[in-house]
Amino acid sequence: MLYSPRRTLKRLERPTPDRPDGAWSALGMGEKLSLIAVALTVLIAVVGPVLMPYSAIIPSGEQLLPPLSPGHLLGTDVLGMDMATRLVAGMQRSLFAAVVVTLIAAAIGTLIGVVAGFRGGWIDSALMRFTDLFLAFPAMIIAMAIAAAIGQSLGSAMIGIIVVWWPLYARLVRGEVRRVAALPHVQAARVAGVRGWKLLWRHVVPAVTPTVVVTASLDIGAVVMTLAALSFIGLGTPAPAPELGRMASDGMKYFLNAWWVAVLPSLAIGLLAFVFNYAGDALRVMLRRTGV
Amino acid sequence: MLVFVAKRLGSLAVVLFFLTLLVFTLGKVADSDPVRTYVGVNASAEAVEAAREELGLDNPIPVQFGSFVAGAVQGDFGISLSSKRPIADELSTRLPATLELAGWALALTVVIGVSLASLYSRPGRFGAFMRFVFFSAASAPSFLIAMLSVLVFYKWLDGALPAAGRSSYGPYEDATGFYVLDGILHGSPTYTWDAIQHLLLPALAAAVGSGVALARVLADGISSSLGSPWARTARALGEREGTVLRRHALRNASSPALSLLAVQAGFMVSSLVVVEQVFSWNGLGSYLSGAIGVGDFPAIAAVCLILGAVYVILNTLVDVALAAVDPRVRLS
Repeated sequence: MLYSPRRTLKRLERPTPDRPDGAWSALGMGEKLSLIAVALTVLIAVVGPVLMPYSAIIPSGEQLLPPLSPGHLLGTDVLGMDMATRLVAGMQRSLFAAVVVTLIAAAIGTLIGVVAGFRGGWIDSALMRFTDLFLAFPAMIIAMAIAAAIGQSLGSAMIGIIVVWWPLYARLVRGEVRRVAALPHVQAARVAGVRGWKLLWRHVVPAVTPTVVVTASLDIGAVVMTLAALSFIGLGTPAPAPELGRMASDGMKYFLNAWWVAVLPSLAIGLLAFVFNYAGDALRVMLRRTGV
Repeated sequence: MLVFVAKRLGSLAVVLFFLTLLVFTLGKVADSDPVRTYVGVNASAEAVEAAREELGLDNPIPVQFGSFVAGAVQGDFGISLSSKRPIADELSTRLPATLELAGWALALTVVIGVSLASLYSRPGRFGAFMRFVFFSAASAPSFLIAMLSVLVFYKWLDGALPAAGRSSYGPYEDATGFYVLDGILHGSPTYTWDAIQHLLLPALAAAVGSGVALARVLADGISSSLGSPWARTARALGEREGTVLRRHALRNASSPALSLLAVQAGFMVSSLVVVEQVFSWNGLGSYLSGAIGVGDFPAIAAVCLILGAVYVILNTLVDVALAAVDPRVRLS
């Protein structure tokens, strides 16, 4: 960044961390909007399917109606199922799957990272060798192979992604645990006789948690996209399940005559990923500014 | 340096071994029964037994793994369960197709990355707008970009660029399989230009995601370089901002960008698989999704092994290249 006095002035004007309304007011307009967008998306994904007038897996109108048709705002697909209903149901599925994948991967990685970082010695080097091996593998290809071996379903795609996702957390957490364990207050606790699980649970884990939470929230958008890619190449649950990636690839057959059947599910995936990527970044900025 | 290369090659061998072991194990625990896929559900008991022997499944597991490794090293991946032909034969025409597409996509990635990064790192001018562009492009699945480009360049612009296949003509006899190269070798500008036109949209669709990721790393590096003392010195010596950017900042930011590019190659593989499917590109990716559709695990394993090996070897090469230009890497 170029040096400019105006920029420096702006930086000085920023609210200081100890102001009571610090976190929220430190955000720019775009960042506030992105957090609101996340809330809206989650709301749509959670309650949307209940509110939709049609079923996501039963035909409800004529086939291949274009968007803005009466009764079908976003048109219908080749079987006459309502696109809007299927999209909302698909977003719910994607979001739920992405959150579950991220949580499990983060949990496994955290467990391994904490054990490795806290115990040290040969356990540490064995666990980290294992982690490094997985990090050296081409993640997407391994995820594809695993999902293909288990069978075509959303669950197997999720397992495939978890297997390649946890090592990132293991590395991150191990580094953090080692850093925290060397901090003065943890050393002091150790000297005062706090040992083993108690030391870990009381002093190390709370210090590591924020990093894991932020990383996990940054990851959700990426997991949504990875799941969609696997689903697109045939590693998701087959139709009529409302799975966005699969809907997009099935829709390719009628693409030049009925673009919406393929494009709308793809747009829905892009929208989900965009909202979460943008908000994840806002969260990072917010934490950096408030110094949490 | 020699020690570093030897160490790196050693870990390459270990990773390749475990990659093979993992893929082989997945084949053993796979959901579908390979013999049944091979002979069909209505085959007699004798036919099943014969097929089991033909596929080598009557041997003990370690022996099977040994012959799997021995075969893979020689480029023999066994027989496809669905077409009943050797997988290596089916892949031989498809590998150049994918490599050609990947090469173009990688080149476009660099073009997109460098130009976006130069735009982004000029402060104030496009700030908020570029941020929006960054996030949109990074969040768009590659099949969405593929679809939109087909809609624009094929449908609305009335076939300005072709939207399917590799060429309007067939392949040459005794050709390399790289169509652009074939056209040049046979001295046919029409053939070459046609092949390039067919490459443009798929390569673009595969490149946007990694191009944006590259741009972000480059832009970070550039903006920290531009604020550094030596950039100030360069300015004080009267160099223009563009020259400072190109000659000093970009060059300094390129080392982390190069290692990112190697990682992105892994992600690009998945977008290639997707993009090949959209553009009916006859490469490894469309072969893979075809094999997934019929549950042909030996074929899936072969493609994963080849793509995985390419990725791991590429990463090793980049590591060695980085160590060659930057001594700090060697010592860490």
